[in-house]
Amino acid sequence: MENFEPVIVAFCCHYCAYTAADMAGSKRLCYPPNVKIIKVPCSGKVDAIHIMKALEMGADGVYVAGCLDGDCHFKNGNIGAAKRVAYIKKLLDEIGIGGERVEMVLMSAGMGERFAQTATEITEKIRKLGPNPVKSVNEAKTAA
Amino acid sequence: MQAQDTLKQNNTVLVIGGGVGGIRAAMDLAESNRDVVLIDKSYSIGGLMTQLDRTFPTNNCDLCTLSPDLSEAGRQLHIELLAMTQVAEAEGEAGDFKLKLITAPRYIDLEKCTACGDCFNKFPECVRFTPGLDHRAPTCMRYPQAIPHAFSIDMEKCNDVDALVQVCKAGAIIPEDTQKVREVEAGAIVLAPGAEVFAPDKLDSLGYAANPDVVTSLEYERILSASGPTQGELVRPSDGKQPKKIAWIQCVGSRSIHEGAASYCSSVCCMFALKETIVTKERFQDSIETTIFYMDMRTFGKDYELYLNRAKNDYGIRLVRSRPHSVFHDSETGRLSIIYSPDDGGSNLTEDFDMVVLSTGFKISEDVQELAGKLGIELNEHHFAKTGGFSPVSTSKPGIYACGMFESPKDIPETMVQASAAAFCASKDISILSEPIESIDEFPPERDVSQEPLRIGVFVCDCGLNIGDVINAKDLADYAGTLADVKRSEMVGYGCSRETMKHIQDVIREKELNRVVIGGCSPRTHETKFQDTLRRAGLNKYLVEIANIRDQDTWVHFDRPEDASDKARELIRMAVTSVALSHPLTDNVFPMKKDVLVVGGGVTGMNAALNMADMGVKVYLVERSGELGGVAKNIHKTLEGDDVQAYMKDLIERTTQNDRIEILTNAFIVDHTGMPGMFKTGFQIAPQMFYRQIEHGVTILATGALPNQPKEYLLGEHNNVMTQLDMDAMLEDQPDKIKDLSNVIMIQCVGSRCPENPNCSRICCQSAIKNALRILELNPTVRIFVLYRDMRTYGFQEDYYKKAREKGVIFVRYEADTPPEVQAADEQLQVTFNDPILNRKVSVYADYLCLSTGLIADEESTEDLGRIFRIPKTSDNYFLEDHIKLRPIDLPVAGFFVAGTAHAPKTLRECIAQAQAAAGRAHCLLAKDTLNLGAAIARVDKERCTACLICVRACPFNIPFINADGYSEIDPAQCHGCGICAAECPAKAIQLMQYEDDQILAKLAGLLERVN
Repeated sequence: MENFEPVIVAFCCHYCAYTAADMAGSKRLCYPPNVKIIKVPCSGKVDAIHIMKALEMGADGVYVAGCLDGDCHFKNGNIGAAKRVAYIKKLLDEIGIGGERVEMVLMSAGMGERFAQTATEITEKIRKLGPNPVKSVNEAKTAA
Repeated sequence: MQAQDTLKQNNTVLVIGGGVGGIRAAMDLAESNRDVVLIDKSYSIGGLMTQLDRTFPTNNCDLCTLSPDLSEAGRQLHIELLAMTQVAEAEGEAGDFKLKLITAPRYIDLEKCTACGDCFNKFPECVRFTPGLDHRAPTCMRYPQAIPHAFSIDMEKCNDVDALVQVCKAGAIIPEDTQKVREVEAGAIVLAPGAEVFAPDKLDSLGYAANPDVVTSLEYERILSASGPTQGELVRPSDGKQPKKIAWIQCVGSRSIHEGAASYCSSVCCMFALKETIVTKERFQDSIETTIFYMDMRTFGKDYELYLNRAKNDYGIRLVRSRPHSVFHDSETGRLSIIYSPDDGGSNLTEDFDMVVLSTGFKISEDVQELAGKLGIELNEHHFAKTGGFSPVSTSKPGIYACGMFESPKDIPETMVQASAAAFCASKDISILSEPIESIDEFPPERDVSQEPLRIGVFVCDCGLNIGDVINAKDLADYAGTLADVKRSEMVGYGCSRETMKHIQDVIREKELNRVVIGGCSPRTHETKFQDTLRRAGLNKYLVEIANIRDQDTWVHFDRPEDASDKARELIRMAVTSVALSHPLTDNVFPMKKDVLVVGGGVTGMNAALNMADMGVKVYLVERSGELGGVAKNIHKTLEGDDVQAYMKDLIERTTQNDRIEILTNAFIVDHTGMPGMFKTGFQIAPQMFYRQIEHGVTILATGALPNQPKEYLLGEHNNVMTQLDMDAMLEDQPDKIKDLSNVIMIQCVGSRCPENPNCSRICCQSAIKNALRILELNPTVRIFVLYRDMRTYGFQEDYYKKAREKGVIFVRYEADTPPEVQAADEQLQVTFNDPILNRKVSVYADYLCLSTGLIADEESTEDLGRIFRIPKTSDNYFLEDHIKLRPIDLPVAGFFVAGTAHAPKTLRECIAQAQAAAGRAHCLLAKDTLNLGAAIARVDKERCTACLICVRACPFNIPFINADGYSEIDPAQCHGCGICAAECPAKAIQLMQYEDDQILAKLAGLLERVN
């Protein structure tokens, strides 16, 4: 596990985080390639099932990126998303996977720097946490 | 302004010049259902911008930015495009111009030419392309309809015509081709002929003619460009080796007294040079040293100062304040020696470089001056179009409008603003054309794919070097070909170019593809283009998925190409697994409400309101304060001497008397819902604070900025410390006070270009010069010191800067870290500053200290309105437009437009141009009678719905309700498409179209299949 490269899924809302990710591109701000973005119209669209499935399928970390507080294009989708993420964190703690694998982050469309910085920080955090324990269970299952 | 009824003879607008400005003007006119004839003297449209490699400040690829517009201009049914065409004769008046156009022979049959390049390969000397270093036409420039991928032949250079004709298998070469003459009638004319680059060959001292390694900035751009002669390899023209040390010399042909050079500032070269240095650094990291020799660094545009700071701090670009007097070629070392005097007045220095780039300015070509003569419009002393002080795009002749570089030197965003403004003014002069052409006609019927097995096609774009330089696009396409249900996978060059789009359509038909994945740039910018391609190929437009392998892969992982390749494979896989589950969707279309809301009753808001009212729509003009006027009400004169007070009085009168404008003062916006074409906005109106709601189709934000009042240099504490606005008022109201003065000191950049407000306020250099000149007019004996960091008198403002120096105004530069010190000395002020030439401190007693405090964003307004309307802001609280280069007026939220100083600081004239442009952009949207809300709408599966009310409570807009049949119903006309209800629904009875759960899970599966 020395060269552990985590796989991280970022659900990004169209109006802010996804635009910020493109902005990071325009500005050529590097961040780890471990982060893979899935575009959603609003962070509030991210279902608990999407996050749990991502972890079940073997993602090492998942984060939901929405607009800044009060800036949600759909009024309060980001607040709903944050509540859902908090709930999932608790659940993950309870079942022993660890809530720290899931995060909610906020940024505005113009914050390319924030996007790149967040992607870097979360990747480093997950790298320290090590691989998602579900994966070894899955592997054992496949082996059996 | 001309009365409408006198000008209805002709519905056509002639647009002269096919650069970005001309294309924008033509497209705006076409969008608002006017017929356009767009002519360009070149072989293909695109103008100067197509020759650039990148644009500042995003450093995006130029062609990628522009090509969607190019192909759209070609597709537009209202636009007739005539290349190689010039005006021979012109007569007539506004509403009834008659023009004779001459199209030069191309010797190529446009219908037959496939741009295969055979003629060029065999006879390169007689096949014409763009000039300069470019031997190869950029693929995106080749053009649809009128000029499709067509070459052009220079018959005079051809020795063997028969052999040339033979070489073309398509039989497209026609040696007997002759020039064609055509009469065109037009109701109005938009001039966007652009400018030409100053040719530095006469400036012997810079050695441009003698040394191949001295190039112009445009030539350097071609060298960097993926579609340029070296295919993007940075090499010296002399020996083909990579240079290690490059110098840029600013103001070549601008701000100059040399023969043939211009005295004005060309406005864009500072940013241009910074961009070239940054792009060079980005591509080659630290291996190339870059230095800019400059006089004043003029980064006065929106967020441009931040770009300058990045160049200095992040990229280590070396900036040397000096105007070098000569460049010599050292035959021993093969290098170029630049001789310059340092800024501190010390003795001459010599430094060697491998390459020298001359930042050449712009001038109006003789052709264009001749054209102006034919049209009978006046030019200014610099041969640019003469336009009004308060009518920035109107030429001296009614019905003829000028925009872009031809009006004054300017960058792309400002050109776009003026183009939209000129197009709008022109469209006001002509009546609306008969019936809008149904664009649906050109699409073939949609193929029913429901019974077909999956046949996925993958097209990987190399985007020039943007993708192809980091990863192997061909390998990626090969890999995609191995994925399940992929029947066709290939690499395409410049996926968004007209010809590639056509190719994709052909492949879809040929291979009977029923799902498509594009690996390329961001769906945010290009999804609609590719959806359009699918429609043309007979597929529903929602059967495409874009994998963002550029903005979110090769651009951000260029430092680790292998990881970028892996990630690109994953992104393609995700798109393939997800597109497999896509299904045809229908757009939701609704009628359009045509009323307009203009927020802000300053000069910009009033202009926007009047212009919209002229188009016959109802306008609500909302002002927070008790009266109209804004900041401009406190300005008396412009730099050019125009009377602002008289203008404002007339403007306010016209606004208040217009029947179609309803003015709401003391009104505060409190809520807002809806979509473009059907917005609802609520106000509270003081003092009773009663509530009122209006319905409108579009919104123009013109909320302005505030005069900055920083607590610096005793401002507000000492009676004789004032802002430039205060001085402007004193000059008008108390001219007697000026008569007794002996010393006045002005300090520039107070409260601007500092950590609290990092950007340049743009207007303060010219207002200081304006006030200095007016003081001297009243009292020629006053000694005036202007303490500055960089004098940013861009464009023709430079003339006034020069005049101020001639009249004895003393300009002394200071550095940001050693600002002047000010102490009160009774009625006077003691100002101490460092003199860079004497290199010692100097103290001067001043009667008045004028601080150039500039503008600061109206944070309270932009904060509140940004929240209510969901509009993003820049870090310094100005509204952030949709695209800083090509869409400076459109906001990211559809149906919203920004104008005036709410966008960024600008002069009165620039505000008026933006107001006209915003009205024009709004008019384009309102020209349609219907509104397309797309397909991303929540759908309820009534079998699964248990009427639990969770969606009713979760929806931020209160749209779902439990209907008579006992299940949740969502009105597609009102659904905003956020998908929150879908995420909350415990029974999973709601799905958001385009983002259905199984598609999202398929993306996860596509990504993670390797992991498991």
